[in-house]
Amino acid sequence: MMRPALVFALLLCLLLVLDGALFIDGLVRRKAENATLAQLAVATSVLGLTDLAVATEARYTRHPAVSDPLAPFMDHPGAIEHFPTGAFWLPPSR
Amino acid sequence: MLIELSGVSKIYNQGRANEVRALSDIDLTVEQGSMVCLKGPSGSGKSTLLAIIGCIFPPTSGKAAIAERQLARLPDRFLTLHRRETIGFIFQRFNILPELTVLENITLPLLPLGVPPKERRQRAQELLARFAISHRAQFPAGQISGGELQRVAIARALINNQTIILADEPTAHLDTALSREFMEIMRQLKEAGKTIVIASHDPLVFEHPAIDRTVTIQDGRIHVS
Amino acid sequence: MTAMAQSNLEKQLNILDYALSSLWRRRLKSLSVLLVFAAVIFLLASFQMVTKALSDKAKQVLVHTPEITLQKMSVGRQEAIPLAYRDRLAGIFGIRRVVPRIWGYYFDEVRLANYTVMGMAVEEMPEGGRLDTALVGGKMPGPDGQGRVVIGQAIKKAMALEGRTTFSLFRPDLSLKPFEVSGEFSSDTDILTNDLIVMSLADARDLFAIPAGLVTDLCVYVANPQEIGTIAKKISEALPSVRVLTRPQIQKTYQVVFGWRSGFGSICLLTALAAFVILAWDKASGLSPEERREIAILKVLGWQTSDILVVRFWESVLVSGLACMVGMTAAYIHVVYFSASLFRPVLMGWSVLRPDLHLLPRLAAGDILLTLAFTVIPYLAATVIPAWRSATVPADSALGG
Repeated sequence: MMRPALVFALLLCLLLVLDGALFIDGLVRRKAENATLAQLAVATSVLGLTDLAVATEARYTRHPAVSDPLAPFMDHPGAIEHFPTGAFWLPPSR
Repeated sequence: MLIELSGVSKIYNQGRANEVRALSDIDLTVEQGSMVCLKGPSGSGKSTLLAIIGCIFPPTSGKAAIAERQLARLPDRFLTLHRRETIGFIFQRFNILPELTVLENITLPLLPLGVPPKERRQRAQELLARFAISHRAQFPAGQISGGELQRVAIARALINNQTIILADEPTAHLDTALSREFMEIMRQLKEAGKTIVIASHDPLVFEHPAIDRTVTIQDGRIHVS
Repeated sequence: MTAMAQSNLEKQLNILDYALSSLWRRRLKSLSVLLVFAAVIFLLASFQMVTKALSDKAKQVLVHTPEITLQKMSVGRQEAIPLAYRDRLAGIFGIRRVVPRIWGYYFDEVRLANYTVMGMAVEEMPEGGRLDTALVGGKMPGPDGQGRVVIGQAIKKAMALEGRTTFSLFRPDLSLKPFEVSGEFSSDTDILTNDLIVMSLADARDLFAIPAGLVTDLCVYVANPQEIGTIAKKISEALPSVRVLTRPQIQKTYQVVFGWRSGFGSICLLTALAAFVILAWDKASGLSPEERREIAILKVLGWQTSDILVVRFWESVLVSGLACMVGMTAAYIHVVYFSASLFRPVLMGWSVLRPDLHLLPRLAAGDILLTLAFTVIPYLAATVIPAWRSATVPADSALGG
């Protein structure tokens, strides 16, 4: 019969091993990611890109960096922001 | 004298509207190796007197020396330390924690003393064997019989080799057979050198031949009969 | 180790044992608290990691964004900018190059997807000759593109272009313009290019029916990057109706775009707050008779008030600490190995095109400590005060039945 403190310590070790494995995998992934940075840099400068291509539902969620805070409300007077991603990708207040 | 009380009084909530004088002017001595019964109805102050002897709190006035330590001078922390080395308690209804196993219940007093698990198990198993309940060691205490519970409670009171055993109405919820069994164990402990004080108004207790002396308490005072 | 130290250590371990078995005895309750706590931390940590990963990616990538971008504004909306404005900029000292672009959004009625169409003379842009390195196959259409395009991976998937290389898009007058795929962007560049269709300026002008002499924006490149601010100012003076966006401004967007004050961030925070209030209230709502009895018994048996407090303290630390570890590990796995799929509705919403986000948050010790500070410490505080009250249960209440 192991004492409870030992059982808990083992559980903790297991978690730490998992975290360690995730950390090492993260290092490997980061190395791979760094290799793609050159390609991303080229794409950005050649195409003059200003935004990450994630939320393609509205022009101001797709390109928040070149939009203004009024963009969601331009459709008609009294328009409200109705896209789900509008709550996440905010156009900057200039 | 292992237990010496002189002029001891205890007042609860002193100075407030609900002030209660539980004990007045108690003089009591108990020799080492003797068994004394505190007799009296409920509300007479038995439990309070037992609490003072048991180093749970000091008296409001008077002198109380337990195992040569003056209680009145001890701060709470040292009172607790003195208590755990000297006093073994057996409660009414035994006050066992039902979700813990029998072994865990018995070794509870040893945890804050820094006794390692192996030694705790060893000491407990010795006592369990002595009281013939070794087979119940891993059972949850809430699942054993009344008689076995009684023995668990006694074992717990002895786990730290305490010299003084205090029992508060131990037979209040036991049948005659178990009460007799309890007193028999007390007699054996007395012969082994323990000093025992039992608070009880059960004739099976205070009329037992092993009792050296009976002290009657009423309304917080000792009655000499 | 001295006997005293040994005994002390053993005592702490004993108390830890007791705290653990106490939690195990009430395992249903302990586990529920742990799960709720871990779920809250999971939510907060996931949010923090996703936004950090995206911000970091943007930071790395937008270093190369055009130095100054010019858009014409009219009635508070963006309008096509005349190419003639280029000449007005000729007078400003420090401008190296001005490159016109036509770009906009094409809405595919059939698939309900938005594509970003970019038309420009790629060779005129910085590093223009090297764009082929960002392609997985094929090459950029030359200046005489004639309907040849380079597409992102999501476009390829959306139009089911496996095996064929031609597709058509509608002009505003509903006539069809045919295109031929001359190259694909590598999936490693997905986060920037997945919804792009890149073509020549002439093709874009034809597709969107933009009159000659107009473009959608002008990219301005300067000789000295330190001068961006000054030149931007000069440009706004020279062209008052033009919105001038500088590279620092664009970069700054992605540092503030994800905030706790954003709609979704606020929801996460409020949920966490609500959960904590419930947990703390439960803890503070006093002792059950069983708990009082247990404490009184322990005290009579020689446990000190401090020992009982340590038990309560350990219980809280164990539950909250474990919940934190589990929650944060789960959040990391969620973000890295499942691309934050639970946040999909917020990250991509109704978008039809869904890129594979290869998110890799950089976890600093500071972030972990911050999460710990905002979760474990309030929980400890919420349990210490009632624990203090509990520890003052008098020992003699165990006596007298």
